[in-house]
Amino acid sequence: MLVYVYDGSFEGLLTAVYEAYYRKQKPERLLPEKNLQSSFLDEYIHIVTDMEKSNRVYDSIRRKISAQTLENIYHVYLSDDPEAGTLIYNYLRLGWKIGGRIELHLSEDCVFKVHRICQRVTHETHKMMGFVRFQLVEGNIYYAPIEPDNNIVELLAPHFADRLADQNWVIHDVRREVAAVYNRSEWVLVNSVLEGLPAEDEKEKEYRELWKEFFNTITISNRFNPQLQKRLMPVRYWRHLTEMW
Amino acid sequence: MVEILQKLKILADGAKYDVACTSSGSERGNSAGGFGNTVAAGICHSFSSDGRCISLLKVLMSNSCIYDCAYCVNRISNDIPRTTFTPEELVDLTINFYRRNYIEGLFLSSAIVKNPDHTMEKIIMVVRALREEYRFNGYIHIKAIPGADERLIAEAGRYVDRMSVNIELPTQESLKLLAPQKKKEAILGPMGYISGRILESSEDKKNYKKALPFAPAGQSTQLIVGATPDRDLGILRLSEGLYRKFKLKRVFYSAYVPVSNHPALPALAKPPLLREHRLYQADWLLRFYGFTANELLDESRPDFNMQLDPKCDWALRNIHYFPVEINKADYATLLRVPGLGVRSAQRIVRARRVGPLGFEDVRKLGVVMKRARYFITCKGRYYDKIAMNEEFILQNLLADKSQAPVLGQGYRQLSLFPVLPERNLIEAAYASITGEL
Repeated sequence: MLVYVYDGSFEGLLTAVYEAYYRKQKPERLLPEKNLQSSFLDEYIHIVTDMEKSNRVYDSIRRKISAQTLENIYHVYLSDDPEAGTLIYNYLRLGWKIGGRIELHLSEDCVFKVHRICQRVTHETHKMMGFVRFQLVEGNIYYAPIEPDNNIVELLAPHFADRLADQNWVIHDVRREVAAVYNRSEWVLVNSVLEGLPAEDEKEKEYRELWKEFFNTITISNRFNPQLQKRLMPVRYWRHLTEMW
Repeated sequence: MVEILQKLKILADGAKYDVACTSSGSERGNSAGGFGNTVAAGICHSFSSDGRCISLLKVLMSNSCIYDCAYCVNRISNDIPRTTFTPEELVDLTINFYRRNYIEGLFLSSAIVKNPDHTMEKIIMVVRALREEYRFNGYIHIKAIPGADERLIAEAGRYVDRMSVNIELPTQESLKLLAPQKKKEAILGPMGYISGRILESSEDKKNYKKALPFAPAGQSTQLIVGATPDRDLGILRLSEGLYRKFKLKRVFYSAYVPVSNHPALPALAKPPLLREHRLYQADWLLRFYGFTANELLDESRPDFNMQLDPKCDWALRNIHYFPVEINKADYATLLRVPGLGVRSAQRIVRARRVGPLGFEDVRKLGVVMKRARYFITCKGRYYDKIAMNEEFILQNLLADKSQAPVLGQGYRQLSLFPVLPERNLIEAAYASITGEL
């Protein structure tokens, strides 16, 4: 089995797609080098990320397939699904064959899978817009740790850059060690390992207590239904929800 | 701190029976130098242990009410602690909760303090401060206080996203019984006024860009279910009228939670949650599926079937419309098929342009096959062994656990039919129709 190995970046993945086309090869899988478990029987080709090649694939997708397709594959890439690379490759090959109408071919397995993963990513992004919880720390910075299933920090950042435009904030994916950092004018994505959080602002505890009080009071005890609560707000998110502490 | 915590507890407690907590309907970016924005779809920020969404800071300005409505927890004759927020306290809470992303905005209501005008003025003080002093662009929903002067309502409408007037009790008789100080006119009056202003401002917006908005997310109302002997038919017709006449965005239904032992009120062990659920299902059918109240219910059956959802119920009574061919039927017809929703119907219409759809494709498009399979054909074929027969479909739908009333602990599914594994039931019913054994 022929396997292409890329560096894990989106550009690396697009370069791999480029190479497969121009080398006239059909790799069976495209895998990121992180956590790669090589097998004796497979042949591995390491792809060196090349911005120019990646850009050509990028443009070609937009011109020959559609902008929608481009967005879809980016979302699939962000899903961190181990098979994302392979899926994107198969989906793009079909896309170049049938063009922009590919999104209608939901009976094609790869199109269906792409749509399902995209839905998962956009749904989680929407949910996270509500579940992010900031705490004010020293230095007048609002800090929010999150642990989403998908790598969505960069999808969340534009929403908060508009909404909380006049505060300094950090949204930190603690598991993936990436963070969006905003300084009241623009946000940037940084790889970050947090070494100790600055001390909490003195007023922070007060508002946290008020919020918890509100959260507990608003429940109508005659309608108690914790299963419904867990379905709508899965327990894996509770760790970073202030009201659940 | 302790004082404000107490106030918050009392005034959130007084507001919680208002079910509306949506932050949808407005799409507004932030302004330069301001903070906050709104998202058309709305955002839920948390879910309380009753499973309801928390999106807005839902509190009362005050709970010192001059009225004595039997169904209401804040009635003057109820012995509870009374308190009032100052505008500064409310503004501070809203802003600090919003900056931590706890909430999507403020939902401010109030008991009637002194008189309706005074109450409305207090509410306006809060929203004006939020919008003008603090340049807050988040979502604001307020109650238009029945009986308040129109000029005050007009002023409030400039600042808020949504306004609502709660009807609470669906008929004049119920109103007389439980809320003798409230008059139908006092409720419908401001509703009509608000809907007029909303229409006016959306017309203005077409003509000139800088037109002042008026409650851009529209108005809503709430009806209490189960406190009075009103039937579902009456409630649904009222909702239909409100959507048509006043162009309401939402009618909310609130299962009556016993907060009082007033002699005019029924003694309920549990709030009628399943009935509330059925009303919401029917409400969606009115707003998005092209149904009318009279199709769903009529005088001979004025209440919803507790065992079947309103759409399945309608489909079984109108079995002559079925089966529907997925590859040919128009959008409006698809919408009426049980198991198909707005989204799946739209997907079907798009997907069938590139080729005919089979059952597997339809399932992938998000159709709930356990209901839809009795009502559709794909490429002219039925799904498995299906008989176009009311009895057969009813038995199979009821055998499906998901249709059982899980919500209402107060209801138990009638044992009209033996609960057999689904497979056997289909075969048994099929055999009884074809005569094969």
